[in-house]
Amino acid sequence: MSALRMAPAEIAAWQARVPRAFGPSSRGRALRVLGGVAFLAWLIGTLWWFDVSPRRMWNGLEGLLVITRLMIPPSPGEQWVEILQGLAESLAMAFLGTFIAALIAVPLGFLGANNVVTNTLFRFSLRRVFDGFRGVDQLIWALAYVRAVGLGPLAGVLAIATADIAVLAKLYAEAIENAEKKQAEGIAAAGGSPTLIMRFGILPQVAPIMLGHALYFFESNTRSATILGVVGAGGIGLQIAERIRVRHWDEVAFIIILMVLMVAAIDWLSGKLRRRLIGAR
Amino acid sequence: MLEIEGLTRRFGSVKAVDGVSLTVPAGQMVGVIGRSGAGKSTLLRLINRLAEPSEGRIRFDGRDVTALSGRALRDWRTECAMIFQQFNLVQRLDVLTNVLIGRLNHRHGVLARLGSLFCQFSPAERAMALAALERFDLLSTALQRADTLSGGQQQRVAICRALMQEPRLILADEPIASLDPRNARTVMDALAEVNRRDGLTVMVNLHHLDTAREYCTRVIAMQQGRVVFDGAPAELNAARITQIYGITEAEFQAEAAAAVNATPAHGFGPQVALA
Repeated sequence: MSALRMAPAEIAAWQARVPRAFGPSSRGRALRVLGGVAFLAWLIGTLWWFDVSPRRMWNGLEGLLVITRLMIPPSPGEQWVEILQGLAESLAMAFLGTFIAALIAVPLGFLGANNVVTNTLFRFSLRRVFDGFRGVDQLIWALAYVRAVGLGPLAGVLAIATADIAVLAKLYAEAIENAEKKQAEGIAAAGGSPTLIMRFGILPQVAPIMLGHALYFFESNTRSATILGVVGAGGIGLQIAERIRVRHWDEVAFIIILMVLMVAAIDWLSGKLRRRLIGAR
Repeated sequence: MLEIEGLTRRFGSVKAVDGVSLTVPAGQMVGVIGRSGAGKSTLLRLINRLAEPSEGRIRFDGRDVTALSGRALRDWRTECAMIFQQFNLVQRLDVLTNVLIGRLNHRHGVLARLGSLFCQFSPAERAMALAALERFDLLSTALQRADTLSGGQQQRVAICRALMQEPRLILADEPIASLDPRNARTVMDALAEVNRRDGLTVMVNLHHLDTAREYCTRVIAMQQGRVVFDGAPAELNAARITQIYGITEAEFQAEAAAAVNATPAHGFGPQVALA
C-alpha cells in the first residue's frame, strides 16, 4: 500500500466522512471532562475530609517503625499452647462455616438459576434476598451472633456461614446458568424428571466449579476467621487483641508469622486440590 | 528476496522442520501444502521468528534474520506480517483499533509510544486505517467490536492490520481453514489482490489443493518437515500427489480438512474460565 502517506486534504476528507473514528463527539468529550472533574473533586474532597496530609502520613510511618522495632525478635511468650489452640480454633471455624455455607448454597443456587426456576418473580426476589445478605459484613454478623449465642467459636462459625451462603448461592446460580443445555436435554429425552435432569444433566457439570468455589472460600475464610476473635467470636483474634492492648508486640509478631504460615499452607493445599478437581472433570 | 538455508526445528526428538532450503523472489504468491504435522505452520512461524530455529539460516535481502533480536527483531516482524487461522484479533477492541495495532511499531519516540499506551493515534494513521478498511469493504464496521464480525470479516480485518504494518512479506497460516467457502473466497481474493496490486510476497499455508492451484504461482509440498515438491501448481497433479503422499488427492484433502478442524479453535469452556 504505497498510498499510505496521505495528503492533508485526504485526511480531512476522511475526518469529515467518519468523524467518530477520530475521537468522541463534542458531547462525549464534554461528558468525559465532566466525569474527570467529578472524580478529581471526589478524590480531593475525601482527602481533605479525612485530613490526609503528608505530615500525618510521615508521623504514622514513624509510629509503625517503632512497632516494627518492638516486634523483633518475635517471641512465643509463655502461653504458646494457647496460641496454637487459637489458631486451630480459627481453622476449624473457617472449615465448619464454609462447609455449612456451601451445603445450604447448593439448593439455593439451583433455586436462583434462571434455567431451573422459570418463575421470574420468585427468582428475582430470591436474588434480591441474596444481595441483602451480601450487603452485611461478616464482622457485623459476628457481633450479632455473639449477643445471640454467647462468646465463643459457635458465633464465629455462624457468622462465616451466614455471610457466605448468599455469595456462594449467587456464584452457584451463575455456574448453573452457564451449564450446557444439551447435556440436560439428553436426560430429558431419556424420560428423566426435572429432579433427575438436575442430578444427572447439570450437577456433574457444575460440581467441580462448586467445589472449587467452596475451597476458595475456605482459603479466604481462614484469613478472615483470625479477626473474628477480636469481637469475641472465637479463634486467634482475641489473643492478638489482648496482646496489642498490653503492647506485647513481639508475641503479636509471633502469632502473625504463624498465621501467615497457616494461610500459605491452606492456599497451597486448596490450590492443588482445585486444580485437580477442575482437571478431572 | 527471501532465502532459507537448511532450516531445522526440533521439538524433542521430532524434527518439525527438517533441513528446508528455499528461495522466494519478491512478488511471488507461494502456496505451502502438506498433511497435518508436515511442518507448514512451524515453517511460517520460524520465518516470522515466533518460533526459534534449531539450525539453519533465514536471509531477507541479504540480511540475516535468524541473528536478529530486540528492536531489530520487532522491526523484522513488522516487515513480514502474519495472518492466523483464528485471525488473532483482540475481540474486545473495536475494528479500527485492531487495524491501528498494525501501526504500533511504526511509532517512534517516547511521546508516540506513550500515546500508544493511551490509544492515541494521529488523524493520518486513522485515515490510513479507514482507507484500508474501505478497500476490503469493511468501512461500516470500523467502530464495532471485533467479536461482532463474522469470521470472513475478521480475517479481512486481520489483513488490513497486516497491511498497516507496511510489510514486504505476508505469511498466512491456514487463513481460510475456519471459514465457509464463500468467505474463504473473499479472503483468498483479498490476499491475491494484495500480492498483485501491492506487489507483496505472500506465503500461504493451505490444505485445499484446488485453492493452491487457483491462486498460487508456485506450490511447495511438505512431508515430515521436508520439502518434497517445489514447482508450478500445474505440475502438482493428482498422480504426483499420490506419488508423494501415497494417497489419492481426495483422501489428502479430506484428511487435511479434518486435521485443521480438529484443532481446538474455541476450546475453552466455562469451567476453565472459572478455574
